[in-house]
Amino acid sequence: MSAMSKSGDSTPVVTDHWKKPPFIENPIIRYGVMLAVFAYLSITLLTLPIDWQRAAEGLERASRIFGGAFPPSFERSGLLIKGFLESFKIAILASVGGVLLSVPLAFMAAKNIAPKSIYLLGRGIIIVARSFHPVIVAILFVKAVGFGPLAGVLTLVVYSIGFVAKLLAERIEEIDFGQVEALKSAGASFIATVAYAILPQIMPRLVGLGIYQLDSNLRASAVVGIVGAGGIGATLANAFGRYDYDFALAITMVIVGVILISEAFSGVIRKRIS
Amino acid sequence: MLEIKNLQKSYGKGAPVLKDLNLTVRGEQVLSVIGSSGAGKSTLLRCINRLVEPTSGTITLNGTDFTTLTKKELRMERRRIGMIFQSFNLVDRLTVMENIQSGRLGYISTWAALTRRYPKEDIRKAYQLMERVGIAHYANKRADELSGGERQRVGVVRALMQRPEILLADEPTASLDPKTSEQIMALLRSLAEELDLPVIINIHNVTEAKEYSDRIVGMRYGKIIFDDLPDALNKEQMDEIYSGTPAEDRQAMGAAA
Repeated sequence: MSAMSKSGDSTPVVTDHWKKPPFIENPIIRYGVMLAVFAYLSITLLTLPIDWQRAAEGLERASRIFGGAFPPSFERSGLLIKGFLESFKIAILASVGGVLLSVPLAFMAAKNIAPKSIYLLGRGIIIVARSFHPVIVAILFVKAVGFGPLAGVLTLVVYSIGFVAKLLAERIEEIDFGQVEALKSAGASFIATVAYAILPQIMPRLVGLGIYQLDSNLRASAVVGIVGAGGIGATLANAFGRYDYDFALAITMVIVGVILISEAFSGVIRKRIS
Repeated sequence: MLEIKNLQKSYGKGAPVLKDLNLTVRGEQVLSVIGSSGAGKSTLLRCINRLVEPTSGTITLNGTDFTTLTKKELRMERRRIGMIFQSFNLVDRLTVMENIQSGRLGYISTWAALTRRYPKEDIRKAYQLMERVGIAHYANKRADELSGGERQRVGVVRALMQRPEILLADEPTASLDPKTSEQIMALLRSLAEELDLPVIINIHNVTEAKEYSDRIVGMRYGKIIFDDLPDALNKEQMDEIYSGTPAEDRQAMGAAA
């Protein structure tokens, strides 16, 4: 308005430049934050204990390992297949068990379904399941139940719960509550309401998560095997321990191949469902 | 007979949404509730079957006071009140038959519900009602394959499966095109007569309300300010029902208090 009156005559003043307002408005804070981030990164990099000489030696050692790894040896393919079959078993058992446990947990951890105290319990269990990396969980289970596939299955059940129950709970919180209201107003029991109004809504997500988790568990089973929880990971760790780098490379190649295939499979299936 | 006495509803500490509301509905009449958005129509309807908990007052349906029921009793008694919704609230991924049978979930065992083993009598009744509203050939279709008008017919049949003593319709035609909307209103009208069933309809379309109901109730900011035959609703009363906005009303109330 003031611009209009200043110009006096009939031609209105047109503003023709505009700048996106900065993310942090106060310039002192804005430049301060940038400076602080830069300073912290430089200090960390300068004070990090890096033994350059050792790193240089490592390069040489790495070349020796790679040299020993070529050509990959499939001589003991029997051992390789056995390890893989065990990994598959671990992944499948863990996925089925994890998903079965995740469904009730997800209902417990959904704000719109569960009473406050149960909600907190459910969320608590999920947070605990999520807070440790599977390798750490695997170390605990190997200590508890000994080396072998059982430790692997238990580890991946925990890992599956952390992922599937959390995302499923979030899906339950997003449901169209009108359908629940409709069944409530018909006098349906809680279980009937869950079965008719909630499960059909979350089913596609549940199936998608289950398939994704199977794929993810297969990958993770190779990693937790290295700390003693059975499967192909254990075979790989043994091969490294015995300096059989050529066999180790063969195992790694097969792991990559299998994971690519399983990822493609799960991608196709999940696309079909949604 | 539905009798609402001194019904009061407030959300939190704010001004009440329903203020000392009294309403009596006798058998076989279609009653339309009109009023601007926020007048409390939907809250009134939801208080009747306690999807919304009333703050005080009594709601009596054929001798049962709904406001004093325990949770378990309420579940049993809710079967006597059918409800249809603006957005239909069908379960999209289930078949039409499953949606319709979900109106019986208050009667059949949980096991029968989970295994979809519905009583013969219920299946017969479902087909009969579907025939009546013209959707019999859709029994095995998924609910989300139907058009809006067809979906609302499923909603009506689901409510009727409860063998209700009263039907509540919360803006049943607001998501439908004008022609379909008239069809649904006509359907509710004729079902009310056939089944001797009182129907309370929240509605925005005053022309339809006047055409299809026996009685019109006008609400403005939590109070009934008009209650008479459709013909008695004239221009001045319409203006009064729809004048101002609930927000302004609320401010005026605040200033007075």
